[in-house]
Amino acid sequence: MAQEIVKKPLDLETVKTQEEDSLFYFVDSNSINSEKITAPRYSYWRSVFRIFFKKKINWLILALLLFIILMTILYPAFNPYDEYENVIDATWKNLSPAEAMAKSGGFSLKYLLGTGQFGNSIFNGIWAGSRTSLSLATICAAINMLIGILIGAVWGYNKTLDAVLNIFYNIIANVPYILLITVLVYVIGSGFWPFVFALTITGWLGIAYFFRTQVLIIRDREYNLASRCLGTPMFRVVGHNILPFLISVIVTILATELPSYISMEVFLAYIGVGLSASEASLGRMITEAQTAFTSFPWSFWSPVAIASIITISLYILGQNLADASDPRTHM
Amino acid sequence: MMIVYSAIDRSNIFNTDPVYSHLAYNEKTVYEYSKYEKYGYLTYSTYGTFVGNKYKAKYGDDYATHEDYKAAIEAIKDETTYKDNADVKDFYSTYSSQGYEVIYLPTIYQGRRLLSNATLLAKKEYPVIYRLWTYFSQMFQFETIWDVSDPDLTNRGIHIEWDTYSNMPALVGNGTRHKYLIYFDDQFPFIHQNIVHINLGVSYSLYRDDDLIEIMQTKTGSSIYEEKEPPAKIGTGETVYTSYDFHTLTYNMGEPSELEKEWYPDKYTIASSKVGGLSRMGNSFIMGIIATIGAYLLGIPIGIWMAKRKDKIVDKVGNLYIIFIMAVPSLAYIFMFAAIGTSLFKLPYKFANATVPILGYILPTISLMLPSVGGLMKWMRRYMIDQQNSDYVKFARAEGLSEGEIFSKHISRNAMIYLVHGIPASILGALTGAIITEGVYSVPGVGKLLTDSITQYDNGIIIAMTLFYTTLSVLSLILGDLLLVKYDPRISLTDERS
Repeated sequence: MAQEIVKKPLDLETVKTQEEDSLFYFVDSNSINSEKITAPRYSYWRSVFRIFFKKKINWLILALLLFIILMTILYPAFNPYDEYENVIDATWKNLSPAEAMAKSGGFSLKYLLGTGQFGNSIFNGIWAGSRTSLSLATICAAINMLIGILIGAVWGYNKTLDAVLNIFYNIIANVPYILLITVLVYVIGSGFWPFVFALTITGWLGIAYFFRTQVLIIRDREYNLASRCLGTPMFRVVGHNILPFLISVIVTILATELPSYISMEVFLAYIGVGLSASEASLGRMITEAQTAFTSFPWSFWSPVAIASIITISLYILGQNLADASDPRTHM
Repeated sequence: MMIVYSAIDRSNIFNTDPVYSHLAYNEKTVYEYSKYEKYGYLTYSTYGTFVGNKYKAKYGDDYATHEDYKAAIEAIKDETTYKDNADVKDFYSTYSSQGYEVIYLPTIYQGRRLLSNATLLAKKEYPVIYRLWTYFSQMFQFETIWDVSDPDLTNRGIHIEWDTYSNMPALVGNGTRHKYLIYFDDQFPFIHQNIVHINLGVSYSLYRDDDLIEIMQTKTGSSIYEEKEPPAKIGTGETVYTSYDFHTLTYNMGEPSELEKEWYPDKYTIASSKVGGLSRMGNSFIMGIIATIGAYLLGIPIGIWMAKRKDKIVDKVGNLYIIFIMAVPSLAYIFMFAAIGTSLFKLPYKFANATVPILGYILPTISLMLPSVGGLMKWMRRYMIDQQNSDYVKFARAEGLSEGEIFSKHISRNAMIYLVHGIPASILGALTGAIITEGVYSVPGVGKLLTDSITQYDNGIIIAMTLFYTTLSVLSLILGDLLLVKYDPRISLTDERS
């Protein structure tokens, strides 16, 4: 058998014609070329942003969100919001934009959205309120995500800790979260930092539990097993094998967490706990204007609209970034 | 729960107390302690009662006219010398040895005008553990025939009697606090009992001294007046026009009035009024059930529809709705629903403003339903799309089954497992969840109770509600697990490895 195969090219060479000679020629085997890997260069983060920015809608929402963030930082810095600046003068109460601007003499950005029930400028109020909401959401998300992911990762890896933390989780998770937060905020008292404390003291637990499940799923996959057998250090396994999978999970959590803190603030303000009266808050603006929601629509719908825009854009951006950060979409 | 008990600032009790705001100086402090004692924070005793008891033992009932007693009462008025008095020393030593803390409030003058008399009292704070113990030990209270401590009451006992108000037999007690222990009537749930009382906590300010279960079961409508025979005149055909529900009779320790003697054969003379409408729990429950059923009926088909038309217009609109529900603060979209409902469909905005009572339920129910529709749509769509490419569906397709058959016989069976698991939680959740909805539409329901109690600083109700909600939540999880076992033969709660 072996002899026959060796023979074959020799036979072909003998029947070769003159024409074919001009078309084909022998190529030397190149040892340098054969060492090269032909797959294109792959960078994880570059691929994430390539996929992310392919969608036009993401550009649009990102621009909108950046504009809102800039406004919340810059606008209140130059135009501080004072809810009670016109409280003595009853003629400023509940004015429509046109009335308020006429009263202030010509066009003014401050009265673009009219005034509220204390004669407060709605436009100033929504930016100051958004600033509180956004900083609250960012701080709470940062704390909860950090604690949640760290504990979740250890929780998923360590089996003895798993048993202990599971019991703890079952006890806390059985209490409705919304009730827990409400009572906590009520007990601790009002103010920005007590609020952050109430939202973060048990808020990380759900994230940690979710993350633990994800780590458990990925930890014992074959490629990780193989990697460990080949002697890859643990940190490299976590950093290169596991984390890229979990980044999309992390971003998905972030996409739901960030809006949820803003909603929570609105909700708690509605039932009368939460931020103190000296802090501008979208939730309190909505609550104070709720009785006027048909008669003075500006004071009610403006904070509702800005809260909705912020939460929706955060949510969509987060979801799309989560899709883009999943390595399976990079093909 | 323990944290809640110990950490809530107890001085909040007085924020809305009208009596408290009328009192001043030492009287205010004493009133504070009397309330704290009532709600189980501490026990206290005043010098006045101490001296009173002491001299009552010594001189009998007319001790108040005795010089020694008067001198003892006078003794504490002088701030500088009160500690030298023998009675005061006695008071100090008696209570200090029992672990009490003695507090002296000196006489307050404004110029020469006396504002407040000096007071001496001893108090002992209960530790949190003790208060928790008393809370849980008093949670279930059973009625026995020895409950009424009236020495004149003879033939204590329980017997079955023909109840002419419902034309059904009823269990009647003599010596128990309630006259009717088990009875039937035409009100949901038709059979009622007065034997076991669950005491979750007492309201401090919102509903002075009522307990939570009572508040939740109290109907919120107006009184119903009917022609009825009072208990003493059963069979005579002589009726009175009254709102009293004679099933709720409780024992009256005082002397009955002439009218009561005429109406009642015994001393069970205190009846509460019969009230129409639904109770807080009833309101929440009806809205919750309808909203849950509606959400399942809408959410599942729409989710399937979206999955079938993936990336088409239906899917895109549905996704927008899901994003809207997931991201926007719930308060915001409930107000949006309210705005749409009131302006487009002319539905009443506030519950109480509804001219036809049914109309008042429509908007809150829809507002409760639509968010859960969003959640179900999201879940169902995702599930359908994932299952489309699973092996068993590919195999079924290869066998030549139609898409309809694949869905109804294969995918839906698996999907149902998850849906079934969530049903108890969503029904019970509806009972508790509607905190915002009930607040926005002013529906008298359970959820509104929590918001009201927080704004009124009603600590008793807050603690009771926390326990109530937590119990319901645990209960719904257990029920969900049990249903899952019933529905899915692969799941077993017992360990079968042995």
